[in-house]
This record gives sequence, structure tokens and C-alpha cells, in this order.
Amino acid sequence: MRTYLYEDTFESFLTALSLALEREEACAIVKAAGAEADLFSEFINSGADPARAAAMRDFFERRGSAESWHHARYAFLSEAAGCENAVLAYARLIKEKGRAADDMLADDRVKRLHGLSASVGGEAHMFKGFVRFKELADKTLYAKIEPDHNILPLLTGHFRSRLGEFNWVIHDARRGLAALHSGGRLIYAPLTQERALEFDGKEERVQALWLQFFKTAAIKERVNPKLQRQNVPLKYRRNLTEFGG
Amino acid sequence: MDLQRKLEILADSAKYDASCASSGSNRGGQGTGAAHQSGVCHSWTADGRCVSLLKILMTNECVYDCAYCVNRRSNDSPKAILTPDEIAGLAFEFYKRNYIEGLFLSSGIVVSPDRTMELMLEAVRKLRENFHFNGYVHLKVIPGADQRLIDQAGLWADRVSVNIELPSDKSLQLLAPGKTKDTVLRPMNRLAQQIAAHKDERRSIKSSPAYAPAGQSTQLIIGATPETDREIIKLSEALYGKMALKRVYYSAFIPVMKDNRLPALREPPLLREHRLYQADWLLRFYGFTADELLDEAHPQLDLSFDPKTVWALNNLDKFPLEVNTADYERLLRVPGMGVTSAKRIVRARRAGALKLDDLKKLGVVMKRAVYFVTAGGRYGGIKKETEAAIRIKLLEHKNPNGQLDLFGEKELVKEGLEATVTGQL
Repeated sequence: MRTYLYEDTFESFLTALSLALEREEACAIVKAAGAEADLFSEFINSGADPARAAAMRDFFERRGSAESWHHARYAFLSEAAGCENAVLAYARLIKEKGRAADDMLADDRVKRLHGLSASVGGEAHMFKGFVRFKELADKTLYAKIEPDHNILPLLTGHFRSRLGEFNWVIHDARRGLAALHSGGRLIYAPLTQERALEFDGKEERVQALWLQFFKTAAIKERVNPKLQRQNVPLKYRRNLTEFGG
Repeated sequence: MDLQRKLEILADSAKYDASCASSGSNRGGQGTGAAHQSGVCHSWTADGRCVSLLKILMTNECVYDCAYCVNRRSNDSPKAILTPDEIAGLAFEFYKRNYIEGLFLSSGIVVSPDRTMELMLEAVRKLRENFHFNGYVHLKVIPGADQRLIDQAGLWADRVSVNIELPSDKSLQLLAPGKTKDTVLRPMNRLAQQIAAHKDERRSIKSSPAYAPAGQSTQLIIGATPETDREIIKLSEALYGKMALKRVYYSAFIPVMKDNRLPALREPPLLREHRLYQADWLLRFYGFTADELLDEAHPQLDLSFDPKTVWALNNLDKFPLEVNTADYERLLRVPGMGVTSAKRIVRARRAGALKLDDLKKLGVVMKRAVYFVTAGGRYGGIKKETEAAIRIKLLEHKNPNGQLDLFGEKELVKEGLEATVTGQL
């Protein structure tokens, strides 16, 4: 089977998608790093073509709708196994049905794609609450996150509008990627090694106040660990100040 | 007294307020912070309740002696008071670290209602003006405060609230001497007028100030007094209608104080509280009226079934409903269907006729809905759909690991099943 390989960027993925969509027969899209050769696959390096990528966006928005583009983009950010081919199947359906594709909610291809998109949107929303900044000695606010999906690009706008006057870093330690906000400008940069952090003198005291508040706010007659676990999954707790993170 | 100890005392006294919402406002602009239209939860405490706002009292001292209240004058627990600077500073440090969406400030009454309201307004003014804070603020309005002060509250806050606490005047007289229905409803009414007037003005003049953009809410204590669910839900319906309230919160009574005017409850009535919230949702999002849910012959919500299921069982002549043709408003009335799944059905059927198997994919809870719908004329429920038969089936289906078990419902379901078996067959 013809398999299109893409580099680890959205642009390269869209290039691969555009190439795959041009062919009638079944094909697959796989990330180049980690792709394993076998006798039956024909590998093609897709490269990254800005014109093709832009055309793909146009395809989703015009042949489908703004909503289709949103779902395709979010599904890619899920980084779930096989999400590339789920986007491909969805794009083929849009090619065939146009914007009616998004109405086909009981269709497995649409359900899968909308599901991936919703789980990314859901996690991004949760992290608007779960990001915990700590103030460093130089007054930069630093937060470490380890989300399942690649949601960092979906968080920065939110924090820019709230903490625009501060310098801050949101560090996705799982992906070795950071969003750095400094002097009102935002950049993304690889950040693998967490340097030994030096905290502001007041930091520990504010954390103690928060812990006090968090502990006190629970009503003991209503204690319900199961409900708490449903809302704050254990996997997120290690970076939450109030759970010892 | 150091800040940490004050925070402990004043967060402890504030925790019984059920509201934690940070939704309904999209404040923003120059400075720090913004509100998020849909609200954001930042954490959940050990009781599973969401933390969205720094919910504290300015002081737990109080001139009133309300029997149900932990802050009553005759309770000799430790007292504390936070200064406006301390409140603003604390909220800002928490906000900056993304612990919270903003501040929810309430208070016991120190010196007088006016003085209390003035100090609270001062704290919020400092937060807004000195810290240029644009995050969410929920401000409790003190009954009995001067109208001029009440009017200011909505200019600083995103949401304002006056707690009714006790659902009838008689109960107020019994348990909250010093408060009457009028002292509570007057400020509420005034806030409703102000919110409506400012909204009108902003429609024509965009630059005019927002007034409590996230509206007004209130809270009722459940189970401390003998009001029926019907009285409570009728009251909520009137508050949503006449006062245009955004939310009514229900708080299961927890006997924090011993008082011979209060009932001795072993446990807070959490399941009853849960059923009231379900009924409240039906009023606000599902187009039900209070009279459809409860009547004089049945003034209490059924603890074994959610109120929509009860309504459906009493109205079997309106079912089964054909999902391919029924309009949205009627789909909303099917047990096992919510706003999301009803919207999905309306959308998905544009692309093609729906089969029973499709419904589950659209998020419909089929173990409940199956008795009440057809798809393409096919019915998947039991053949002789008598009310009693469906009741039994539904009870059998209750999943011991399901969500409702959180409210200790398992036992009640068993009791309910026995009652149904012995009473109805």
C-alpha cells in the first residue's frame, strides 16, 4: 500500500494528506519517525509544501465548512494512533459529500473524527484550569504540563489574554516543547532539560495559602473521592500544586 | 492573627455556599485577567465540588443569629476579618498562578449592613482599580444595605447574589429572626431592575458600563424546613421568570449547629438535592413547567427515578416518539436524551434516516430511551408498555456503578423496587 510519510509538523501532514487525497486507491499516512518498512508498503516522503498545506485548509473550509477545518486540525493534535488516517477518511468523505459530511454523526468515520476532536477540545478546556504557574526569582511564571494531546497551541491565546502583562512559560514536558511569553511576544521552542528552577521568595508562602484554602473548602459531610477522581484524573495531579505537584 | 489562619477560618465559613460558577461573562481588556464565557473549573476538592473562585467571607462575625448558619452570633467559634487590601492581594496572587477564575466574596454582618457592604465594595474596587483585574467577581449583596450600595455592587461584579436560604417566610421567621421575605426579595428585585436597565442601555450605547453581566443567582437550603419539593420548584420557576435569575442553587442542609428548631438529620439529603437540580435543569433547558413535574397530589420528587422519567411514565400516551420526525422540543422530553443528543438527532437525520442502532452512537442513553422511542417505525422496548412494567425494567437497569450511585442511591433503588413490586403489581 502506498504510504505517505510526513515530518513532525502540521504543514508536512497537510502536504501528505493532499497527496493521498489525490489518489483513488487506498493509501495511508504515517509519521516518518517511527515508520516501519515492510514488503507491502511503498513509502513516499511527502516533504512540506506550504502551497499544498494552504490548499488543504481551503479544501476543508470551502468543500466542507469552518467546522470541518476545526475538527481536522484538532484530530491531528490528538496524536492518537491512526489519527492521520482518520483525518484522511474524513477528508475523502468531505470530498464526496461536501459539507453534509459533518451531519453524518452516526457514520463511523465522522464519529471517530468528531470524537478525537472533542477529546482534544475537552483536554484543552480542562487545562485552562489545570495549568499551575509558579513564580520564579526573575518574576517569570513557569508552568509544567503533561497532557495526553498536543494542546499547547490551544492554550496560549487564553493565557495571553489573561496574563499579557507577565512573562510566562508553559512547558509541555511530555513533548519537550514550551510556549514562551516575553515582553508581549510569544514563541514556541524546544525545551527538554528543565533547568533547576529558582523560585521567588514569596512563592512558597502563596502555595501554602492555596493549599490551606483547598483543604478547607471541602465539606467533610460530603466527602466523595470517586467524584473527585472523575473530575481530576490521577494522571494530571502530579503537576497540580494542591495535590503536591 | 496571620493571613493563613484568617484564610482558614474564612474559607471554612464560606464553603457552604454552593455556587462556584464563573460563567456568563466575557469581561476583558487592558490589565490582568479575563472572564471565560463558559466558565472554567480549576480544581475539585475532596467532596468533588469544583473550585473556580476564591470563595471566602470578608468576616465571619455577624450581628444576626440565624439558626442554620455557622456564623451565627451565638456560635463562639474563632472570628476573623480580612481587610480590603488582604482580599484583593490574595485574589490577585491566586489568579496570577491560575489557581482560580476570580473572587467570590461574601460576609457576615459587621457593625451594620451598610458598613459591611462598603468594605466589600472597597475590596473589589481595589482589585479592579489597583490591580487592574478583569477576572471574574461574584459579590454577595447584604440584605438591608442601602440601595445606593446595592446599585454599586453590579458595577464592580460579574455576578451578584442574595441568598434566600429558606424557601418560605414562615421558615425565615422561625430560623432567621431579623430577616423577612421582604428584606431578601427587595435587594433581589432592585438588582433585577438594574441588570435589565443596564442591558437595555448597552443595546443602544455600547460604551455604557456593564452591570453584573453574568446576572444574579441565589441559594436555598434543602431539608432544614418542611417545604415540599413542589413549593421549592415553584419558587425557582418564579425566580427564573419574574426576577430573571441565572441560577438557583440548592444546598442539602448540613446540621453544623445544634438548635432545637432544626431537624436532626443523620446525613445531608444529597439525593433530594440532586433531584431538585435535575428538576431545575428541566425548567431551564428542557421546556418543562413546575406544574408538569409536581402537582398537589405528588408534591415530592421521586427519589428512585429522575423527574423526567417520572413525567414520561405518567404520560405514556405521548410515547413512543418517532426520532426521525419528532421536533426538537419533544425529543428533549425523552428520558435518556439530553440537549446534546437531541441536537445531534436533529442534525444527523438531515443526512439520512436514523435506525435504532444509530441512537447510541449519537449519545442517547438507550437503556432508558428504548421504552420511549421508535426509529423508522421500529420499537426496541418491551411489548406491553404499561407504566409498571417499564418501571420495573428501568429499575433493573440501574447500574450499580452508575453515576447515581454517588448519591448512595443503591439502597434507595432497592427500596424503591420493593415498593413498586408490592405496591403497584
